[in-house]
Amino acid sequence: MKTRPPKPQTMRDALYEAPGPRTRKRIALGTAVSAVLVLLGAAAVVWQFYVTGQLSARYWSFFLQWTTWRFLLQGLLGTVQVAATAGVIALVLGLLLMLGRTSGVRPLAAACRVVTDFFRGVPSLLLIYFFFLVVPQYGVKMPSFWMLTLPVALAASGVLAEVFRAGVNAVPRGQVEAAKSIGLSPARTMFKIVLPQAVRYVIPSLIAQLVVVVKDTTVAYVVSYPDLMQNARVLITRYDALVSMYLVVAVVYILINYAINRASVYVAHRTGVKIIR
Amino acid sequence: MGLSELLSTFGQNYLDGLLATWSMTAVSFVLVMVLSVLVTVARVSPFAPLRAVGDLYVQVFRNIPGVALLIIIAYALPYLRVVLDWRTCVISATVLMATAFGSENFMSGINTIGVGQVEAARSLGLSFGQVLRRVVIPQALRSTVLPMTNLLIAVMLTTALGSQVPLSPPELTGVVDYVNSRATGGVLAFLVSAAGYLVTAFVISLVGNRIDRKVRILR
Repeated sequence: MKTRPPKPQTMRDALYEAPGPRTRKRIALGTAVSAVLVLLGAAAVVWQFYVTGQLSARYWSFFLQWTTWRFLLQGLLGTVQVAATAGVIALVLGLLLMLGRTSGVRPLAAACRVVTDFFRGVPSLLLIYFFFLVVPQYGVKMPSFWMLTLPVALAASGVLAEVFRAGVNAVPRGQVEAAKSIGLSPARTMFKIVLPQAVRYVIPSLIAQLVVVVKDTTVAYVVSYPDLMQNARVLITRYDALVSMYLVVAVVYILINYAINRASVYVAHRTGVKIIR
Repeated sequence: MGLSELLSTFGQNYLDGLLATWSMTAVSFVLVMVLSVLVTVARVSPFAPLRAVGDLYVQVFRNIPGVALLIIIAYALPYLRVVLDWRTCVISATVLMATAFGSENFMSGINTIGVGQVEAARSLGLSFGQVLRRVVIPQALRSTVLPMTNLLIAVMLTTALGSQVPLSPPELTGVVDYVNSRATGGVLAFLVSAAGYLVTAFVISLVGNRIDRKVRILR
């Protein structure tokens, strides 16, 4: 008995019908050609590394030493501290901005809206320059940790306020109407009925937003805070190995952010909510 | 320093910075759109190696920090005998990252259409090309207007990376650095640049919303 082809799971596969013998031959040919092209491209990159001497052992051997990794891990710890602190501040501030904006008090709502849009519409680098160049002009001396953490937190808080608001909007209207009909005040409706549900909707998005926070911390060298990137720069001058070091650090960042994204998708899958962006 | 003094001294710098930001944003976004289509085509193609490379590309470049990518392009590539001028470095870093997000937008645009529509189109006897041209692409494009508007704003904010290399003239973020190394610009020096970004972002989202309202499919 002939089995039916499996039903396509994703749109990607649904675009094609089950191929006949001729198409199958063509797909096999295309697959082979594209595989060769991809391999040639990769080989060209490796070759360029080889002819410029970047594959020589002295650029890579120090990655076998524990001290290299210990120093990089110290930097990573700095990155984690900044990202975690900034994340917590952004979480609180974002929630406050959202509550202010949906409070129904006109001036407060307008103010929160302006603040939210400001932090969302300005590059985080500009905020870092504000804390690095402008704040000291007013006689405020800040440790480099806060010169980095505060702008990162502020930039994220604008985005998180919008994420929270999307979560509040996703709570079915009937919930609010039911709360009203049993005589809950607007504030109690928000804190007892809407917010607990909204937060559950946005947890995956909040996790995903951590990627942006981690990315923003990489400009720590502007304020000379010892994070992963800054420590990598120190090692570059010590071993005179720029290309290999920056590539390894970039891969570390990519893996961290990839893990965060996977975690977000996993939580979304477990709790059955769609990721709100 | 008051606003009038600041603008009379550095007004030209801010104007040049704004124009530099705008031009880098425009060039980047055009390239992003072209490359996003190519990457997306590779990701939906029936050839496994191309799919894998497309997926890998997206995962790498949506997770790499902008500064790390810019530093690699600007300071590591010359060791591999690839020397680009500063502006090109900033644009390539922006384009490489934004293309990953652009392709994700297209993919989710395709995903919103639903398997049933393609099956229906096929059962009407439409060929593969017709399914793409008459059913998939028109709907996918319509539902990506708003995400692409946000991407355009994100591209503009990403060009602030230009402040990390010696651009001349410096773009809008670099101008704040420039002004503060020559005078105490105070909070105003920062707010003028911020206003440049905010007004541009406002106009972009206004236009984007208007287009979206015209072409959106209500479901």
